[in-house]
Amino acid sequence: MKKHNYLFPAMVLFSLISIASVAQTAAKNATRNDLLLSLGYFNTNNQTQYLSAKAKTKIDGKFQMVSGISLSFYISNDSSAANLLGKAVTDAKGNAYLLIPPAAQSEWKKSVKQSFVAVFAASNLYDETKANVQIAKAKLKIDTAADKKITVTALELKDTSWVPVKGVELKVAVKRMGGDLNVSETQTYTTDSTGTISAEFKRDSLAGDAKGNLVLIAKVEDNDTYGNFSAEQTVPWGIKTEYLSAYDKRTLFARRGHSPIWLEIMAYSIIVAVWGVLIYLIGQMRKIKALGA
Amino acid sequence: MDTLAKQQITEDLLPQKFGKQGQIWVAFLSVLCLVGFIAYCRQLSKGLVVTGMRDYVSWGIYISNFVFFVAISLVGSLITAVLRLTDVHWSTPLTRIAEIIAVSAVTFASIIIIVDMGRPDRFYNLFIHGRLQSPIVWDVIVITTYFFISLLLLYFPLLPDLQILLKYKEKTNKYLYKLYTFLGSFWKNTPGQISISNKAVNILCITIIPVAFSIHTVTSWLFATTYRPGWDSTNFGAYFISGAFLVGAGGVVVAMYVFRTHYKLEKYITDDHFDKMGKVLVMLALLYLYFNVNEFLVPAFKMKKPEEEHLLGLFTGEFAPVFWFAITTAMIIPILILIFKKGRKPKPAFVAGLLVVIGSWFKRYLIVTPTLLHPFLPIHDVPASYHHYFPTWEEWSIAIGSLAGALLIITFFARIFPIIPIQETITETEEHEKA
Repeated sequence: MKKHNYLFPAMVLFSLISIASVAQTAAKNATRNDLLLSLGYFNTNNQTQYLSAKAKTKIDGKFQMVSGISLSFYISNDSSAANLLGKAVTDAKGNAYLLIPPAAQSEWKKSVKQSFVAVFAASNLYDETKANVQIAKAKLKIDTAADKKITVTALELKDTSWVPVKGVELKVAVKRMGGDLNVSETQTYTTDSTGTISAEFKRDSLAGDAKGNLVLIAKVEDNDTYGNFSAEQTVPWGIKTEYLSAYDKRTLFARRGHSPIWLEIMAYSIIVAVWGVLIYLIGQMRKIKALGA
Repeated sequence: MDTLAKQQITEDLLPQKFGKQGQIWVAFLSVLCLVGFIAYCRQLSKGLVVTGMRDYVSWGIYISNFVFFVAISLVGSLITAVLRLTDVHWSTPLTRIAEIIAVSAVTFASIIIIVDMGRPDRFYNLFIHGRLQSPIVWDVIVITTYFFISLLLLYFPLLPDLQILLKYKEKTNKYLYKLYTFLGSFWKNTPGQISISNKAVNILCITIIPVAFSIHTVTSWLFATTYRPGWDSTNFGAYFISGAFLVGAGGVVVAMYVFRTHYKLEKYITDDHFDKMGKVLVMLALLYLYFNVNEFLVPAFKMKKPEEEHLLGLFTGEFAPVFWFAITTAMIIPILILIFKKGRKPKPAFVAGLLVVIGSWFKRYLIVTPTLLHPFLPIHDVPASYHHYFPTWEEWSIAIGSLAGALLIITFFARIFPIIPIQETITETEEHEKA
């Protein structure tokens, strides 16, 4: 009997410890989700280079963007302080951007290929997380002919010279306010053995600036080898648009003294009519006074 | 009609000196005005920061008060012009009450709009740089016009009474006698003068109706021409005018009861007047209720996203207590009281009128402020106080002071001039006896 007396409390104690351990693990899992980082390289118009990182996590089986976390960006795979390019905080969509600073030029020039890494330092919510990207240095060159033919050449840096690359998929478009508009029905082009593609500009009657200029853009997106890069060129293929100022016109939103004529006629007629009646009545009052004199 | 009866009417209706109650009333109103003035001086020296108005709520209870004053002033055109032109004679004892309410209200509507300006010293810019396209300029023009018409409509019918007042020199003091002399010594009651005066009053009655409609329509356009939830309505002009007639009629019923009780005018402001005004009030309350249903039910049925927050704020949210209080006190309860004959007796009618006036003041607040707290672009990155509006003591004091000021004008007018037209009452009694 005595043996049973010890066994029961021991079982209860063991059960409590097990439950507490499971609960603790569950609590740890509930609060510490995995952070998923992805990193991309961008080169806009062969000029502006920047890195873009996206941070997300999976909560209740759904991906959610992680905002407000600080990421450190490094050039090369070595995340030592000497290679630090800078830090950026993710926005509401979980994106963080960092322009590659001129100080990184010497490291950039060391090789025809380049690696970058984005690092999130461990916090209460997430463990330390890294994302890498390696790119081969490449650029695009746009040539145009008078008959609205566009030739785009994709070039890769090999040692010290730029050589054409075959099999690169790219888009050719016109920059518009709401996004890029393809120059023809063809969505994408793939470079041939000479590294070029030919596209035809079929967007007639497109409004340009005051001189009729449009900006052509050729871009490579999410390429596994080269990342994202683009080139732009201004061409006079649009329709000249003239800014028509309404500043001196008579409108409802114009400044003082420039109200529409119909409004002036209406308003002044009413004012003259009503105040005419009032002045007439004041005259009648004088008449009443005269009659009583 | 014999001379004795005429004399009785005249003596009954002559302005009376303030009694003890009157003096307390004037002192009370003067204190309220004084506190309001002190608060305004603080606002002038420290700026609009002493108010609860911030970046989003830039129109608070000052503009609510302005809309209320403009609304109540419309009663002048309803009682005097509409009923006169439709040959309704029972309203004769009420015309002067209605007109003085109109004049005092429109005076304080103009004053309160200047109070709302952070820099009143720049008021002249409205005239120098005002744009004809702006509803604010239309409002300035139409309020000025309405004020002058109301003043003339008060003055012309007063002329025969001034002659009577001059005859009773012993019942007045020398200052008032001088005032009566200045204003009406030329009135000799000649057929020529009567004819011109009647013609002038008829012209004024015709003129005041479109101007009165304009004054409140333009006031509604101050809101409706702005694209905002709650204001973006094509119905606003009619909605405002129906509400204005309601609050004006409510104000007249309250004034009728106070003057009848205080000056013992039961013979002139009879139960029948309350019965008739009660019916008018029910009709106007139903009309305004109809416009309210239109104004809220239609957008609530569609529940467009930008309107949703505003409407739910009124129906069940932050403003719900004020909203339902205003709807109930300004319309539902007065209808329930006045729809029954017993409810149209003087005392219950007075209570109903008072509820209409109080409820209508809060209704104006609901028209102005909640919309400003629900702009199309969400409010963010601002101090917490910007999300809400509650008037400061300075605003309450100024608003209450302005209401007291309007009542003070009415009180002094009743002290100086007959609040019921003497000559018109005599003439109508004579005509009634002849008939």
